[in-house]
Amino acid sequence: MNHRLNRFSILFMLAGGLVLLFVIAPLVGLFLQTSGVSIVKTLHDHEVTHSILLTLTTAMGATLIFSLGIIPLAWLMAHHQFRGKRIIHGLIDLPVVIPHTAAGIALLSVFSDQSLLGSGASFFGLSFVGTSAGIVIAMAFVSLPFLFNAARDSFESIDKRLEHAAMNLGASQMQTFFRVSLPLAKNGIISGMIMMFARGMSEFGAVVIIAYYPMITPVMIFDRFASFGLEASRPIALIFIVIALAVFVLIRLITRKSFAVR
Amino acid sequence: MLYVKNLNLQAGDFKVPDTSFDVKKGEYYFLLGESGSGKSLILEAIAGIQKIKSGEVWVNNLNITHLPMHQRRVGLVFQSLALFPHLTVMDNIAFPLQRRGIKWPQVEKEVVQMAQRLSIAHVLKRKPGTLSGGEHQRVALARTLIMKPDMLLLDEPLSSLDILLKEEMVELLRELHQQGQTILHVTHDYRVVGSLANRISIIQKGILLQTGTPQEIASNPKCKLASRLVV
Repeated sequence: MNHRLNRFSILFMLAGGLVLLFVIAPLVGLFLQTSGVSIVKTLHDHEVTHSILLTLTTAMGATLIFSLGIIPLAWLMAHHQFRGKRIIHGLIDLPVVIPHTAAGIALLSVFSDQSLLGSGASFFGLSFVGTSAGIVIAMAFVSLPFLFNAARDSFESIDKRLEHAAMNLGASQMQTFFRVSLPLAKNGIISGMIMMFARGMSEFGAVVIIAYYPMITPVMIFDRFASFGLEASRPIALIFIVIALAVFVLIRLITRKSFAVR
Repeated sequence: MLYVKNLNLQAGDFKVPDTSFDVKKGEYYFLLGESGSGKSLILEAIAGIQKIKSGEVWVNNLNITHLPMHQRRVGLVFQSLALFPHLTVMDNIAFPLQRRGIKWPQVEKEVVQMAQRLSIAHVLKRKPGTLSGGEHQRVALARTLIMKPDMLLLDEPLSSLDILLKEEMVELLRELHQQGQTILHVTHDYRVVGSLANRISIIQKGILLQTGTPQEIASNPKCKLASRLVV
């Protein structure tokens, strides 16, 4: 291929460059307009640190708990043809297309203490409205398509003869799943889990409906902005972005080291 | 040993209609046919991969037609070999023994013995991606043989080998047969059949045209493929 720049390439580079600038400029602006003093002050605000910790733990909780159901569902969808399969695909992708505040309202109608499920759960001392459990539910609802789609694609990409070989060699379906399918699909699944975690962590719309308090960081940024203005919310936004990026990079590094195919 | 009775298979539009044959204990039996003749489909049906429309498969007087794949005790070496890329050669060969719950020291001992028998002891710590074609074949064979299958099913195991490696593998298969292993081997390669086979079935478009010893088939060939048989 000819790598010399022509008019066509330059035009596309300009168009692409504008998009990159559009993504980077607000982040740079945020960094430049936030003073060091306000960052230090915010870091000493216990409400903020507690909120960041809550956001990270609930997003992690949502990812880990729901992966126990999402991964088996993804395997089923990758391995079986059945009537209604497309409908299930559509249902799983639904959270991506509906407004997240609407998703929050929908969740509230199922998990509020007055609903059947909510009242059933409250019988066992579990409440979803205004609790960490509610935050986990809301985060999981909007972010699970990321893990599901990544896991299904990974399972689909496995050569079926490897799974047949495992069973021919005496492995049950369960053993084949844990010894062959899961290890071979792990890279895609881990990527999906990271995406689900990242998406859950940044969720605002659904969470704000079901659990304004305890306050996760995206809700706190909105709350401080609405109550005290840009100056009060900007350092929290900056700290949260840095921590989110650091966690994201850290997880990537850890999983790459631990799960690299040698 | 193996009795395939009135087997009916279908894959898309392709059909294998009402096929019957038997393989005796210790016999080296070939299903010889061109690509797309249905020979691999029959092998997969015996192994439980391909759904059987009707008919029965018996191994050692046991009807295995509806047995789950992992309970059949018929060892299939796939044409693609299907080595697990995420496991070392050692773990690949150990796989069937570990699934049966055998403790590691015993597993390791048996794996090393099998690897020495097939001259692959030097690659035990390597991953399949780093092996040569011949080593690949031997590892796949070792992994299947270590489970001591009642019946060894070979799906075109020599097709991807160059001529020298092919000769080496033919010798290995001959040795296995002489040690008493019952083998059902499907291939389109009429050149390797004559020197190994006790009996051969010629298959064309899903139908068994002719069954007999290599000499019987060569002396009275009923199709072009049979006439090419070298005895």
